[in-house]
Amino acid sequence: MRALRLERSLPRFAAARLASGWNGRAGADLGPVRLVEVAAPELPGPGWHRVRPHLAGICGSDLATIAGRSSRWFEPIVSFPFVPGHEVVGTDDTGRRVVLQPVLGCVARGIDPPCAACGAGSANHCAHLAAGHLRPGLQTGFCADTGGGWSEELVAHESQLHAVPEGWSDQAAVLVEPVACAVHGALAAPECDPALAVVIGAGTLGLGAIAALSRFRPDVELVLAVAKHPHQRRLALELGARAVVEPGELRRAVRRRTGSWMLDNGQLTGGAPLVVDCAGTAASLADALAVTAPGGTLVLLGMAGTTTLDLTTLWQREVRLQGSYAYGPEPLAGGRHSFELAFELVEHAGLERLVSATYPLGRYAEAVAHAADAGRRGAVKVVFDPRRRPGRPRPEGSP
Amino acid sequence: MPRPGFVLDVDRSTPPILTWHGDGFRLLRLPADRSRVIYAPEPEPGLGDPDEEIRRALLEPLGDSAPLPALLRSGMRLTIAFDDISLPLPPMRRPDNRQRVVEAVLDAAAAAGVDDVVLIAALALHRRMTEAELRHALGDRVYDAFAPHGRLLQHDAEDPDGLVHLGQTDLGEDVEINRRAAESDLIVYVNINLVSMDGGHKSVATGLSSYRSLRHHHNVRTMRHSRSFMDQHRSELHSSNWRMGRLIAASGVKVFQIETTLNNDAFPPGLGFLQKREWEWTARDRAAYLATVGAIRAGSDRINRSVFQAVKAPYAMTGVVAGEVEAVHAATTATVYRQQLVHVEGQTDVALFGLPHVSPYNVNSIMNPILVMCMGLGYLFNLYRGRPIVREGGVAILSHPTPWAFHPVHHPSYIDFFEEVLAETTDPIEIEKNYEERFATDEWYRHLYRTGHAYHGVHPFYMWYWGAHALEHLGRVIVVGGDPAAVRRLGFSPATTLDDALEIASDVVGRHPSISHFHCPPIMMADVT
Amino acid sequence: MRARLPTPAERSGSAAPRRRLPVTPAGTGSRLPVTPAGLRSWLSLPSGFPFVAPTRPTTLPVPPAESSLGVHYDTSWARRYPARLARATLTELVARPAVAALTSPRVEGLDRVAHLQGPVIFAANHSSHVDTPLVVSVLPERWRHQLVVASAADYFFDSHLKAAGFALLLNAVPIERHRVDRGSARRLTELIEGGWSLLIYPEGGRSPDGWGQPHQRGPAWLAERTGRPVVPLHLAGTRRILPRHSFLPRPGRSEVHFGRPLWPGAGGARELAVRIEAAIAALADEQATDWWSATRRAATGTTPPLTGPGGAGEWRRAWALGPTASGAGRWRAPDVARRSSRAWPGADVARRDERAWPGADVARRDERAADRPSPS
Repeated sequence: MRALRLERSLPRFAAARLASGWNGRAGADLGPVRLVEVAAPELPGPGWHRVRPHLAGICGSDLATIAGRSSRWFEPIVSFPFVPGHEVVGTDDTGRRVVLQPVLGCVARGIDPPCAACGAGSANHCAHLAAGHLRPGLQTGFCADTGGGWSEELVAHESQLHAVPEGWSDQAAVLVEPVACAVHGALAAPECDPALAVVIGAGTLGLGAIAALSRFRPDVELVLAVAKHPHQRRLALELGARAVVEPGELRRAVRRRTGSWMLDNGQLTGGAPLVVDCAGTAASLADALAVTAPGGTLVLLGMAGTTTLDLTTLWQREVRLQGSYAYGPEPLAGGRHSFELAFELVEHAGLERLVSATYPLGRYAEAVAHAADAGRRGAVKVVFDPRRRPGRPRPEGSP
Repeated sequence: MPRPGFVLDVDRSTPPILTWHGDGFRLLRLPADRSRVIYAPEPEPGLGDPDEEIRRALLEPLGDSAPLPALLRSGMRLTIAFDDISLPLPPMRRPDNRQRVVEAVLDAAAAAGVDDVVLIAALALHRRMTEAELRHALGDRVYDAFAPHGRLLQHDAEDPDGLVHLGQTDLGEDVEINRRAAESDLIVYVNINLVSMDGGHKSVATGLSSYRSLRHHHNVRTMRHSRSFMDQHRSELHSSNWRMGRLIAASGVKVFQIETTLNNDAFPPGLGFLQKREWEWTARDRAAYLATVGAIRAGSDRINRSVFQAVKAPYAMTGVVAGEVEAVHAATTATVYRQQLVHVEGQTDVALFGLPHVSPYNVNSIMNPILVMCMGLGYLFNLYRGRPIVREGGVAILSHPTPWAFHPVHHPSYIDFFEEVLAETTDPIEIEKNYEERFATDEWYRHLYRTGHAYHGVHPFYMWYWGAHALEHLGRVIVVGGDPAAVRRLGFSPATTLDDALEIASDVVGRHPSISHFHCPPIMMADVT
Repeated sequence: MRARLPTPAERSGSAAPRRRLPVTPAGTGSRLPVTPAGLRSWLSLPSGFPFVAPTRPTTLPVPPAESSLGVHYDTSWARRYPARLARATLTELVARPAVAALTSPRVEGLDRVAHLQGPVIFAANHSSHVDTPLVVSVLPERWRHQLVVASAADYFFDSHLKAAGFALLLNAVPIERHRVDRGSARRLTELIEGGWSLLIYPEGGRSPDGWGQPHQRGPAWLAERTGRPVVPLHLAGTRRILPRHSFLPRPGRSEVHFGRPLWPGAGGARELAVRIEAAIAALADEQATDWWSATRRAATGTTPPLTGPGGAGEWRRAWALGPTASGAGRWRAPDVARRSSRAWPGADVARRDERAWPGADVARRDERAADRPSPS
């Protein structure tokens, strides 16, 4: 079968890191990903299924890995060579159309009894990501034994599969996984006074978080989004943001809406009680911290790595810095699981329109470049269709 | 003998025409045989002895008023209010008219033994003036005599204890003015009447009033019914101010109005080419032009801005009258018209306005995009009597770099207006309905207005209303040479060159529109028949 | 997707413009201009104006000339010391030797002005561009470097280069020759009162045909105003050296006759003007004949007028004058050549009488002169 495989090659990682700073396409060309013909992965044991992907999304974490920018934190919890792709919709060997929940917790790893976290349903907190009968890997798409979405076939444990409701398009289904992440982030902060929430970044995660805040957080009165590109602005407004501002306008926009003052050095006397940073850059974090109200919560949904940040605000104003990863039961939503909420949200908010372009595996370099530049090129989510052979990319959805 | 203004019909032998472009100029070649250039009258000679003329005006007041010395007595409360930094433009060389007049008034007050004298800068919702600006306007003698004792004040329209509500006009307009002024035995108002909009009852009724009072005439409806607001007889803005002024007088507040006028000699000799007709440029003018343009090109925006803001006009006083407000203002308006009116026949499809580096609201500051709009569609567009120089549905082309830049101290609410309000809508009605109240009552703006040097939170709205009549009248507005993002945010079309602008205009006014170039500077007023 | 979203940390409200419209062609941004075209493109200027003078819209009426040229040209710089020094040097080292070589001047009558001090108005007949250098080079030194020359504003001051050149070399000052101009009259008055002597040609220009032209009253008026004397000068021979409409001077001989100073009298400028014209005509007569004959004719009012045969046809005037260029042999030139035959005064007078014309009398010419406007 054909698969895009990522190998552990230091020179390639280094080359990718250098080249991707220059342009996404070169990064993909020189990087550690190769289109290869490999044997389909073995079924690791009972309860596992073969899944043939229809669509597999390109995620920010995939891009970071390909570009050699991932944190070294991941080294012990991934296993090379692996096939990336954890946002997957496909058909399993029983003929069901399924969405993959990629986290490889105790259940999938055949560890019994499971760790406390898995026992509580929060596989994202699993203590055994490097144990069990699978090689290390935090998710499908980072594990050498399971294969990944960027191929013609992968294996998945029964517990990882969610049936897609009748009538759903593949485009809608492929968004369930990232939207579940966004839902989890939106629901990660404790309940606040009816007030302002700020979402920084308007990619898939940001837009998903906006939609989730609007739908699942009745305590949030007004969502203020930060977006840079016109289509992002439009989508953010459609998905429930009351206003969209550019990054440089954020502090003033928050000041106006909270009635606070702006002191000489630009710091606000007040702020928003809930801020979700979906960008994770040093600049966005600084902005996010600057506009979080005293006692408020800053949710880090974007994948920040090593960064520089003045934490004075954090302690002086008792701001909670809340991480968010993957999904789990959501206390704020009555204990429903993020994935369940994501299914609801994708359907209700019509999020399938976020899929902007579909590429065959053979044109992975273009696809990666497109995804890396999605905002500027008017795209949101770029996906692979492993069943297609090279041809023209098929733009889908909007814009 | 200064030559009157005139209208030049452009033909092929017409040289390129100078056009202001913010902190710089351009030479634009206008299409031959369908363009015209409106030139201002040349500067009138100033008064031979201004100080003597001022004393004469105080002793021989107009209208129903006693001479000033007869109004002054020992033990009275005297308040002298004066126009703020927004006049004149550019700021004039020392001594300023205000200094001359205030000194003359103080001489009279001293002779009469008046002890309780307070000076108030009548800045309404404008920013407070700095010490340097006050010294420039009033002179060091006045400043040093009053400021250290807290007797030189700046009007504070947000001081709950400093305002007094005098009542409502017949049309239900609240009149609320400065308490100290209202409770004085006499207000002497010292005005500089740069354009025909200034002065009259507007001096006290606007300059010393509050948001509560101003909102009755600083609104979209009024501005759309002021055609133009430079022509007080056809200006709803003035009608409202006149109603308020009469109410103020009826409330027992006594105003002794002193109005001064200037000629239009706005630039020092080094920039003399700005005021000359292009075909009369001498070799020296051309060299000065090239040197100036070269220096501008070589300088940074910041340097150019500070150089231009440092320009002081060699204005000369052409008239001074004092006495009862309406009689005084009638005389003043006549003097202003004599200097500024240019007879223009008929309207054209397109009007071209070169915008200068300064507007009333960015003296020593930055001309931000909202002020560009206000200067072009508010002031220059409205410098007409009778009809606008551009026909209804026509196109206005503004020339200004329109940088996306704001003075953070002077214009904090402008930034938010630009980023928040204009991002949503540019329709004055919508803006007024949805946003004005929130900006007007924002605590932070209020704080900055009262303690810093910031324009009031609601001021950018007024700037936008100032252009409401033009926005309604025009089919399209194009900005030549502006920052495209900023221009689009204003709701206008950006163009790189005049040719591009005319191309863009062609779907509104066709391919061969008639064009009027309003050759400003200096300031003038088109009398369109 | 966890796409990156680089957020520029730019603080809102900063004064720096964020984007600039590229209004200049790419690549001209930082390079300093070295050529005019480069400068032009650097400044984003069209070609032509303001690098050249502006054109004037034809829709406008041409305004009355109000320029710094012509009669309005300010020559005061040419009377400051640097210019005077330069002029004196040129006059002494270049002009006088050159004029002497070219015109071989013979000067008569200097004794008549020997006693005279202070500023003087020299009034001469005028037929050639050589006249002025000739007079300057033969003037006594006390006047030579303290002399201004009244020069036609429309001819010598019509361009900045010419104006500056003549002002420097000849100390020319502009004068309106065909109409009254209070400005130039006032300036000349001030100059004379300031100690400058004046060389002026009352005819108002070089003779078009070799004969004299009626006098303007300017010199008389100036004398009247300033109370200074007019010294009549008669120049002979210069027309043959450099006639009108020719550019290359031919060496020849010339004569300069100084007349007796004429002081303004009770008769005013009109009477003085008559005296000046008569005096120059008498000097011409004296130069052509002898002093006594000339004096007698002057006393009886029969001095031949310099204006030639009035009322005669063109050809007769030219005929009476003789050829300008020598070499034909048959004709003697009217002035210098003629003088060489003066060994036989009687014959000479008879010949002149032959050529005399009817009705040419001084009085009639006076009327004509008076009809013309003069600077008074």
